[in-house]
Amino acid sequence: MLGPLLRRLLPLPLILLAASVVAFALPRLVGGDVTRAVLRARVASDAPDPAVTARVAAELGLDGPVAGQYLRWLGAVLRGDLGIGYVARTPVADQLGSALGVSGLLTGAALALAALVGIPAGVLAARRPGGPLDRALSAAGIAGIAVPEFVLAPWLVLVFAVGAGLFPAIGWGGPEHLVLPVLTLAAYPAALAAQLVRAETIDVLGRDHVRLARAKGLPERRVLWRHAARLALTSVTSLSGMFVAGLLGGAVVVETVFGIPGVGRLLLDAVLARDLPVLQAGTLVLVAVAVVAGMVAEVAQLALDPVAHDREADR
Amino acid sequence: MPRRRAARLVAAVAGAILLAAGCSGQGGGGGEAGADGELTVALQFPPRAAYAFDADDGARLQSLGVAETLTTVDDAVQPAPGLATSWEQTADPRTWRFVLRHGVTFHDGSPLTPDAVVTALRYIAGVTAPPRSIRGIGFTIAADGADAVRITTAAPDPVVPLRMSSGNLGILAPAAYTGGQPDVVRTGTGPYVLNTVNGTDSAVLVRNDGYWGPKAGAARVTVRYVTDPQSRALALQSGDVQFAEGLPNASLDQLRSAGVDVAEYPAARTIELLLNQSAAPFSDLRVRQAVTKAIDRPVLAAQVLGGAAAPAADLFGAAVPWGGTAPPPGADVDGAKALLAEAGYGPDRPLQVRLWTFPNRPEMPVLAGAIQSMLGRAGIGVEVTVGDYSAQEPDVLAGRFDMFLNSRSYLSDYPDATSTLTSDYTCAGSYNIDHYCSAAYDALTARLPTVTDTAERQRLFAEAARVLTADAVGVMVVHPLNTAGSRGASGFVADPLGVRPVLPPLSRTDT
Repeated sequence: MLGPLLRRLLPLPLILLAASVVAFALPRLVGGDVTRAVLRARVASDAPDPAVTARVAAELGLDGPVAGQYLRWLGAVLRGDLGIGYVARTPVADQLGSALGVSGLLTGAALALAALVGIPAGVLAARRPGGPLDRALSAAGIAGIAVPEFVLAPWLVLVFAVGAGLFPAIGWGGPEHLVLPVLTLAAYPAALAAQLVRAETIDVLGRDHVRLARAKGLPERRVLWRHAARLALTSVTSLSGMFVAGLLGGAVVVETVFGIPGVGRLLLDAVLARDLPVLQAGTLVLVAVAVVAGMVAEVAQLALDPVAHDREADR
Repeated sequence: MPRRRAARLVAAVAGAILLAAGCSGQGGGGGEAGADGELTVALQFPPRAAYAFDADDGARLQSLGVAETLTTVDDAVQPAPGLATSWEQTADPRTWRFVLRHGVTFHDGSPLTPDAVVTALRYIAGVTAPPRSIRGIGFTIAADGADAVRITTAAPDPVVPLRMSSGNLGILAPAAYTGGQPDVVRTGTGPYVLNTVNGTDSAVLVRNDGYWGPKAGAARVTVRYVTDPQSRALALQSGDVQFAEGLPNASLDQLRSAGVDVAEYPAARTIELLLNQSAAPFSDLRVRQAVTKAIDRPVLAAQVLGGAAAPAADLFGAAVPWGGTAPPPGADVDGAKALLAEAGYGPDRPLQVRLWTFPNRPEMPVLAGAIQSMLGRAGIGVEVTVGDYSAQEPDVLAGRFDMFLNSRSYLSDYPDATSTLTSDYTCAGSYNIDHYCSAAYDALTARLPTVTDTAERQRLFAEAARVLTADAVGVMVVHPLNTAGSRGASGFVADPLGVRPVLPPLSRTDT
C-alpha cells in the first residue's frame, strides 16, 4: 500500500504551491487597507492615524511590493517559520498547533462515533429493505442530514445541559466538554454513512459473489458482514477523507456555540481581522490535511475493494 | 445475533457518554461551580492580543480587577484616586504631579514605587501604536521623590488625571517588563491575581488577600470567554456560570423566568446614520433634516431592535452625565416630504440614495432595512449595501458615498468626549466621515484643551452635541444597551463607562 500512497503524494508540493498563491492573494482581493483592518482588530474604535498606520505597516512587513511580500512569506514558510499573528502577536505555529490539537480531537471523536453508529445502522437497515428497522433508521438518517448544526447544537444544550444537567453547556478542557459537540458534529456524517452503507449493502447483497457465498452455506451474519458490508464500506471510506478536512476547519458553528478554541474559530477570527499570517498558514495547513486525508482514504479504499486493488496493481 | 450486538453497541456508546460525564467529577450543569467562594463567569470579549496594553486588553485586565491605574473615575465622571491618591497641576501647566498610594505591593511581592510607575508608563508610551489616551500629546514621565511621579505633555492638558484612568495605562510590576510584551501573570496590583491564562479560551483569577482596598468577593474566579451571546445565556441557565455579560435581547424574558437577575444599562455607543455632506443631496441641510424627520427612532429602538437599545436624541446617551435622556420625536413623514419638496425633490424628481453598512454587528443590517422602509414612506428611494467595513472605509473617508450606518463608541480610552468630537466632526478630523465642517463647531471644540473644570467640560460636550443635532450632521439613531445576568452570584454593579472593575464586587450566593 506504500507505493500507491507515495504515488499520490507526489503532486502535493505543486498543490501546496498553488494553495499558497490563493491563500496569499485572496485576503488582499477584498479591498481596503490591511494595516487599518489589523489596527481596528487590535483597537476597535480607533480613528485612522496615518503616522501610526505607516509605523504598523512597516512593523508588519506590509509596506513593500506585494510580490516581495509573497516571496518573503513563502521563503519563511519553507524554513518552517509561519510568522507571528498580526492581532495576537504570538507565533502562528503555536496558535495553529493548539487549535489543530483541539479540532483534531473533536474531529477524530466525531468521525469515530459516526462510524460506530452509522455503519452498523446502514448494514442492519439493508438486511430487510422496507422493514420497520430500515424505515426507522432511514427516518433518523434523514433527520440527521436535514437538521443543521446551528439548530442541533442549541437543542442538545437545552436538553442535556439546561434541562437534564448532564453535561456542561460551554467550555473546553475535560472529557465532559467533548460530549455535546461530538454528538452535534457526528450527526451528519453518521446519517450520511448509514444511508450510503445501506444503499451499497443492498446492491452488494444482490451480486454474484454474495449469492455464491450463500450457496456455499455460509451463515447469513458472515455473508452480511464479511462479504457485503466490507465492500459497501468503500464508498464511506472514500468520503471519510473529505469529512476529516471539512470537520477540521469547518466546525465553526459548533466551536462558536460551545466556546471551543478550534481551527474554525481561529480562521474565522483571522478572516475578520485580516490576520494574514494566521489565515495564510491556516489555509495551507488545511489544504495539506485535505489532500493527504483524501489520499489516505483512497488507499484505504484500495485495501477494502479487491477489484480496485487489482486495477491499481496493473498500473 | 446482529440485533443483540446492535443493542450492545448502543449501550456501549451511551455508557461511554455517561462515563465521560462522570469523569468531570462535577456532573453536568453545575460545571465548575462547586467550592465555597468560587465563581465561573462568561465574558463576551476575549483578550485580543494576550492582554497587551496597546490592544485594548488593558481594559479587560482592569475589568477583571487585575491591573490598576493611577486614577479611576467616580459617578460624576470626575477623576478619583486609584494607585495615586492625589494629583495637581504644577507651576508649569504642562506638568502634573501624582502622589502614589502608600503600602501597595504588586502580586509578585514587589512594592509600588515611582520607578515602577515610570517603567510601566514609559513602556506603553513607546510602543508602535500607543493607546489613544496618551497618543500624540508628547507624553513623558519621571519619578519625583520617593512617592510621586511627574507627567508632562507637550502642551497644557487639563485631562491628564482622566487620561490616567484608561485601562490601557495599567501598571504592572517592573519584572513584567523584562521581555517583549509585558507578562501579566501575577504582576498586577488589583483585588484579583491573574493566576493562569489559557489563550483566548479562559483564565483563572485568585483573590489578592493583601489588596490595599476592599477585598474581592470570591476566592477564585474561572473566566470563560464565550463569543456567542446565546451560548452565554445557555451557560447561565444551565448553571455552568454564575455571571455572564452581553446577553441576547431575545432571551432576557426567558432568563428572568429562570431566576436570572438581569441588568440592562446604557453603553457609551451610538449607532449613527452618517450623511455625506461633501456632495449633493446631503450638502443641503433641508435634505438632512428631512431624513431625520422620516426616521422613527423610538420605533427602531423598541420594535426593530426589540428594546435592545434606547432611541438617540443626540450623540451622547444616558451612559454619561452630559448625555441626552429625553426621547427623540417619532417620525414626521409629512414634515419630511415638505422639506424634500423645498429642496426640489418630489414625485417628479424622486430622491434616490445609497446606504452602506456592515454586518459585524448583527443589528446594523436589520436597522438598515428598517431605515430603508421608513425613508421610502417619505419618498426617498434607498439602495442598501451590506459589505465589509475594511473595503468600505477608504470610500467613506474619501466622501464617495451617500449614507453610512456606523456604530461608534463616543468615549475613547478614558471618559472624555474630546477625541470623538474632534476626530469625527471637526473640519480636519481624521474620522470625519460625513465631511461636516462648521467654523462655529470647530471654535467650540477648540476651547476644550484649555478647560480644566470637569463640569464645564461636560457642559461643552453637551453643547457640541446640540450643535451637531441642530446642523443635522447625521441621524443619531439609537444608543445600544449593555446587558449582564447573574444567578448564584450577587454584587454586580453596572458601569456604563466601562472603566471600573466588574468582577471584584461579585460574590457567590448559592453555596
